[in-house]
Amino acid sequence: MKRLPLTLRRQLFATPTDGIITVGLLTLLSWAGWGVLNWAINSAQWLVVRANAAALTIGRYPEAQEWRLWLLLGMLTSLAGLSWGRLRGASGWPLNDRIAAGLLVALAVGVPPLLAFGAINQMRLLFLLLLLLLGRLAFSHRFSQASSKRFGDWWALIWGVAYLFGLWLIAGGLGLPGVRPSDWGGLLFTLLITSLTLLLALPLGVILALGRRSSLPLFRYISVGIIELIRGAPLITLLFLGQNLVGFLAPNGLAPDRVWRATGVLTVFAAAYLAEAIRGGLNAIPRAQFEAARSLGLSSVHTMALVVLPQALKVALPAMGGQCISLLQDTTLLSIIGLFDLLGIARSVLANPDWLGRYAEVYLLLAVLYWCSCAALSLGSRALEKRLASPGLQSNPKPQ
Amino acid sequence: MNATKQLMIEAKGVQKWYPNGFHALRGVDLEVHRGEKVVIMGPSGSGKSTFLRTFNALEDYQEGTVVVDGMELNNDLRNIDAVRKEVGMVFQQFNLFPHLSVLANLLLAPIWVRKRNRAEVEQQALALLERVGIAEQAHKFPGQLSGGQQQRVAIARALCMEPRLMLFDEPTSSLDPEKVREVLDVMRQLAIDGMTMVVVTHEVGFAREVADRVVLMDEGRVVEIAPPQQFFNHPEHERTKRFLAQIL
Amino acid sequence: MPVPWWRDNRKLGWLIQLAAGLFLLLVIALLLGNLERNLARSGLRLTLGWLNQPAGFDIAETLLPYRASDSYGRALLAGFVNTLRVVLSGLVLATALGVAVGAASFSGNPLLRGVTRVYVELVRNIPLLLQLVFWYFAVFLNLPSADQALQLPGLQLAKSGIYLFGADLVNGELVGGLRLSLELAALLTGLVIYSAAFIAEVVRGGIASVPLGQWEAAKSLGLKPLQILRLVVLPQALRVIVPGLNSQYISLAKNSSLAVAIGYPDLYAVAETTLNQTGRGIEVFLLLLLIYLMLDLVISVVMNAIDRLVRLQER
Repeated sequence: MKRLPLTLRRQLFATPTDGIITVGLLTLLSWAGWGVLNWAINSAQWLVVRANAAALTIGRYPEAQEWRLWLLLGMLTSLAGLSWGRLRGASGWPLNDRIAAGLLVALAVGVPPLLAFGAINQMRLLFLLLLLLLGRLAFSHRFSQASSKRFGDWWALIWGVAYLFGLWLIAGGLGLPGVRPSDWGGLLFTLLITSLTLLLALPLGVILALGRRSSLPLFRYISVGIIELIRGAPLITLLFLGQNLVGFLAPNGLAPDRVWRATGVLTVFAAAYLAEAIRGGLNAIPRAQFEAARSLGLSSVHTMALVVLPQALKVALPAMGGQCISLLQDTTLLSIIGLFDLLGIARSVLANPDWLGRYAEVYLLLAVLYWCSCAALSLGSRALEKRLASPGLQSNPKPQ
Repeated sequence: MNATKQLMIEAKGVQKWYPNGFHALRGVDLEVHRGEKVVIMGPSGSGKSTFLRTFNALEDYQEGTVVVDGMELNNDLRNIDAVRKEVGMVFQQFNLFPHLSVLANLLLAPIWVRKRNRAEVEQQALALLERVGIAEQAHKFPGQLSGGQQQRVAIARALCMEPRLMLFDEPTSSLDPEKVREVLDVMRQLAIDGMTMVVVTHEVGFAREVADRVVLMDEGRVVEIAPPQQFFNHPEHERTKRFLAQIL
Repeated sequence: MPVPWWRDNRKLGWLIQLAAGLFLLLVIALLLGNLERNLARSGLRLTLGWLNQPAGFDIAETLLPYRASDSYGRALLAGFVNTLRVVLSGLVLATALGVAVGAASFSGNPLLRGVTRVYVELVRNIPLLLQLVFWYFAVFLNLPSADQALQLPGLQLAKSGIYLFGADLVNGELVGGLRLSLELAALLTGLVIYSAAFIAEVVRGGIASVPLGQWEAAKSLGLKPLQILRLVVLPQALRVIVPGLNSQYISLAKNSSLAVAIGYPDLYAVAETTLNQTGRGIEVFLLLLLIYLMLDLVISVVMNAIDRLVRLQER
């Protein structure tokens, strides 16, 4: 162990050029680091963040109805905890989990006072954390392994139902007053749009990918046309199309709410890129798999659904994960067409004369939020890949 | 031949051209009776695999007729589906479904095609795995098995659909020599149990022991059909003699 | 017995396509009908004649001489030239930076490797638009005035712009030299830093695809690391890198349209203003689509030619 710093030092100064690079980088990094820290503690004014925390997180959602959001959050956190427990099984608390739990506790306890959340909200956040950890405990304890397995097949369905129920709850179900989508904003809006778009774009992407590989020329040309057209156009022009031109195409110039139009555009956009990723997966499946399934008597539909697509989606998972991250980042373009996603709300806050010039503080906060979300998606996708990998190598023998 | 035995396969004048113009099958005839074991041999490119694959519609043909178990294989989708249910195929590359366990591989088709009850199929599947000698691997995944084990699972998977005819396309060509024997043993037992089998293979020993008739194909045509005794010891045609000289 | 059409393998495909085709035509007819009615109602028949009308708006900066009394067509052209300016210089700079970072990730110096890793992971996970507005609003708009301009080798940074190749302070203002507006500078900075991270990954993948044996053979011949890279590894890595670069370049070209968010008058920005003034949504959109698709096509054609060149050299 003691040898480690020695080899490091040797590598850092192996040649004179290395030495210069190391010294140069170290000076640059420490100067930059010091500058940033100095600014963050001394000259930055973080009040802008505290004062607008509500707007940044949930936009113009009426305060009296906030409890619905907390309810949704509680539901999702419990589900997340249970999922976490299922993922780990009865293997106790590995090091990664303990680090993650520790981090979460530190965040939940330390950050809210910094951002001056009210006492009630702090308690709520701590309660959410409790739900998460309890859920994790519940499903990983050996006594509940049986129930965990029984729910196993339905897990995706449970998440789906919870998500849709939550959506309905926020919009205005159960006889509660409705909240227009244009009033959802900030982080809530960004996360909702991303998840909704993803949910809708996946089946559409599968259809486009299958169409592109179809033996029937009509479907093939249409799929290729749609995919290439969408991939060639900048997203902003497509959003522009959605906002301005749908009115021309609809009867009597009626058109759905701007938010739904933007969601529609994003969905088709994401579907085109997903289709390419899925097509890569489909291309990786040897024709022999199709033949084996057909020779057993399975219909084309069954072959696709039970044999080919499951394998293809697994292969395409890394590429699809990348698309998810791109999608999350693309939601920022909604701010250009005047919708209030996280960036949009931030820019409207900065337009307020009270907060003039506080660009660095707000944008840095946003950068942190986006970076954490994308990093989380990245890690999640990699964990999913590992979880879904079939044990052992591929079935077919090595070529002779 | 017993006159009451039904014809399992009746192929007459089958011709096939590939889209690039290659004439793969140039008028092939073959009759296979119920319970018969036919071995097809020939040099590579002779069309033997292509011919075999016309029996379950994995290959189509432009002229001639192929009738399997009374059902003519033409453009009629209903016939194609019906034939595939009754015909099992084992491939050179095993082609197990890697994302499913061994047991799940067997259960898939009977449940979704024959719409059978899962518990009942599971019992049958486990019995089949026992029969081919890998009952204890039922919950493993194909990637965790050796080649010989995978091929035996493939045979069990085809048998689970209770086919009336089994097709084998060079089933041992991708196996290490030590594993060939375990698969041939399973096929031998299958033959003894009365299954109608058409096997494309290079395994002369197996052909001598098990086949009722041996067929030589070359350049898309049937050159000679004869019982193994005659085929290997007193072949009629020059080409057969030349082929045997190469492989014996 | 002839096979009924609904079970016929060969006919089924055509019948499905026929049915689908008819349905599609129906939908398109419906939409076009609506379009026709709505256009008629707002008095905007599809035409390109309005391109000759005077634009009536200013463009903050153009390479092309342009006045507010010039036509819409000329305005769009000026915007397109601005887009080309950004895309071409962006491609060059991003490639240079990306190749440098990509190569650096194989350096023997762990600190350098670490820095490149952090750079790529940081930039890839933050949305480009956020980076752009950050650069523009939080950095470039806070530059000091001309008389206290920041001096860097060959560069002078001030509130009035970025000056390359020597500018002199005259009466408290900087004149001469090559001047980049703050908007262009911010756009370029953001685009280049963002794209370079992805290009670095492509380069890294390409270099990693060259077998280790090549490095070892070259080293045993006495070549130094930079020489190995230049003479042995990069030429082989290019086979993998060039196709990857194709898609990154197209991305960069499309991302240039975000210029509208920081006030640089690129093609999209001018088009948006044009739409606001003329209300001619369909024509403007089709023009935009056409031009960007053409840009993508040109990039692809050039990259494919380079690809073929790179591959030819190995036989």
